[in-house]
Amino acid sequence: MQAGLGEGVIISPKDLAFDKAKQYAKKYRDLGKGVLLDPQYYDPEFAAGKLETWPISEFRQSIGGLSALPSSICSDLARAIEKENRELGCDAVIAPAIPYEAARPEIIALNARLFEIAKNAGDAIGIPTYATVVIGRSATTVEVVEGILSGATTLEADGWYYGFEIDGQQRLPTGIDVVYRYCLAGLTLACSGKGVLHAYSGPLANIAYGAGARAVGIGIWQNLWGFKRTKFQVTAEQGGGGEAPPRYFSGVLWGTIVYPDEVVQLSKRISKSFSSQILQPSSPYSPSSSAITWSKWESRKHMVYIIASMTNRLAQMADARRAMEAAVAALETASMFHQQIVAAGIQLKDETDAYQSSWAAAGKKLLTEHSKDYDWLELCGGP
Amino acid sequence: MEFIVPIEVAKARFPDFEFVEALTPSAQKAAFHVRRSGKDYCLKIIAPTQTLERVQREVLAMQALDHPNIVKVVEYEYSVKDGEASHYIVEEFIAGDDLSAHMTPGRGWSIDKIVEIFGPLCDGLAALEAAKIVHRDLKPSNVRIRSDNSPVIVDFGLARVLDMSSITATVDGAMFGTPRYFAPEQLRGTKHDIDHRTDLYALGVLIYEAAVGHHPTLRKSVQTFSELFDAICNCKSYLEDKTFKLLPQRLQLLVGRLLEKERAKRPNNAVIVGKILRELGGADASRGLAPVWPYWSKTSSGANAGRPRGGRDH
Repeated sequence: MQAGLGEGVIISPKDLAFDKAKQYAKKYRDLGKGVLLDPQYYDPEFAAGKLETWPISEFRQSIGGLSALPSSICSDLARAIEKENRELGCDAVIAPAIPYEAARPEIIALNARLFEIAKNAGDAIGIPTYATVVIGRSATTVEVVEGILSGATTLEADGWYYGFEIDGQQRLPTGIDVVYRYCLAGLTLACSGKGVLHAYSGPLANIAYGAGARAVGIGIWQNLWGFKRTKFQVTAEQGGGGEAPPRYFSGVLWGTIVYPDEVVQLSKRISKSFSSQILQPSSPYSPSSSAITWSKWESRKHMVYIIASMTNRLAQMADARRAMEAAVAALETASMFHQQIVAAGIQLKDETDAYQSSWAAAGKKLLTEHSKDYDWLELCGGP
Repeated sequence: MEFIVPIEVAKARFPDFEFVEALTPSAQKAAFHVRRSGKDYCLKIIAPTQTLERVQREVLAMQALDHPNIVKVVEYEYSVKDGEASHYIVEEFIAGDDLSAHMTPGRGWSIDKIVEIFGPLCDGLAALEAAKIVHRDLKPSNVRIRSDNSPVIVDFGLARVLDMSSITATVDGAMFGTPRYFAPEQLRGTKHDIDHRTDLYALGVLIYEAAVGHHPTLRKSVQTFSELFDAICNCKSYLEDKTFKLLPQRLQLLVGRLLEKERAKRPNNAVIVGKILRELGGADASRGLAPVWPYWSKTSSGANAGRPRGGRDH
């Protein structure tokens, strides 16, 4: 944000103590940026980290188990949500919700209750309340996704905070259909006439504007980009993880990771201009090519800077259709670059070339089969 | 089965009213045009099959509404005397015609008339939505048109629990009381799926009929429930109708969205439908509108954002 990127911060309670979050939130607000708190109830079993320092943490397990919520607990939960959002100075309340799953109408009922509780908190503070809509892994067809959304969009929310669960073993999905469903669900939410804020989902953030997003979360977490745990040095330092080898996030390759030694190979085997294109856009936090290790915090700043720069370009498109067309074009360009890299006999680490072509196909499918959704979005003055 | 109360019986039970005529009854009520102290009213005697708690809840909500496109509830009573229940509603009497009197098979309306009638109808539906009331039985006979062409939605709160057996009953091989304006979720009988977008589907059927001159999916007498289900829950051929395709693109798009089978794909509220309709006619589209989009700018949020669940992050 100090570099001029981003509109605000979505705070996660998982890895940050409540008191620390309040300090940070004040800093963000002092920069003139917005603050939101994602209670992350869609990960109900998570119990580690700094979670216990948050007022609503004591309610996670009961909700995770789908137990009935007595009215006394509802009012306690509403007070806890209000306390957190008020003390952080949030611009809106993001309602807690668990993932919607196929053939589970009781989840729709539970999330409706949680939303009403959150809305009471939002109304008490005098800020909007966004409903969290996370589509669970069991939603494996378009029909199931649309059925879930019919139930979820009954809520009288001021906007949607949207996430889509993808198989944990495949953080960069390579299937056309799953990416198509992710985009279609986002577009359907956008067609409701209420703004959609996409939760952080790694590289998928860049396709979000093509799916009608009004805003998208970008995070420091690099494993969603295929950066593997084994690359880190073990450390007990605060914040987890450890120092990692220097690496770049290539805008031309859709933000995927390129290592300095790979850049050297590319400049030798293809051309210097090609390798310099791979490294565009550059960031103030780029690693030194001669460094052996790289501060994890610098690597995180570098990544956020690069991805936010890329995403902002798509966000500036005239509308969602143009944003998707631009995303498809960028993905196809990335595929073409990868083909040239492979043709030069270079194998990039982390298998970063596995998904771009299928994502482009998913985007094209959405543009073709849901042209009327884009027309509708335009007609009702949406993004 | 219609709930019929002979007018002579009604006169005897309600001596304070002067009875003008019996109005069309339904399964939920017998209705009469009545007068009291020189003023016209509509008296509705509620069928004993209706759930008292629900009727009372909805009448209470209705009494709080004061909107020019929604009929006003003047009086409501439920009492039991000598073992006999008296359960009735008195509403303002809307002089004019039903919407059905304005519809001629095979002849579509002008765009101006569509905007004139359905724009204010959307205002009424928006007011209902704000009061958390779902009409559930919006159809031409439940929309009265005053002499100045302003529409009024009537007959609330009585159709929430419709008996599927009465819907699917057949008379001489043809379905009796075909629910021509039912949304797919009503036909499937999933009560928890019924919300204000159920009324928006019915609005879509009404606009289609008015604009094109026939029902979007029911063109002939339906013989079986299976045919009815297919027509309402699956059929989309109305989008290819020659007359429909001659309508302005924006109207086609709007009606197509209203008639979506999934609620998630329909417009989210009547406000936006009214806005788009009024823009079609060049009328003041800003009347009574709340902002549709929130303040978010189209840029990314910063770091530390939430993410879908997965393993521990690095």
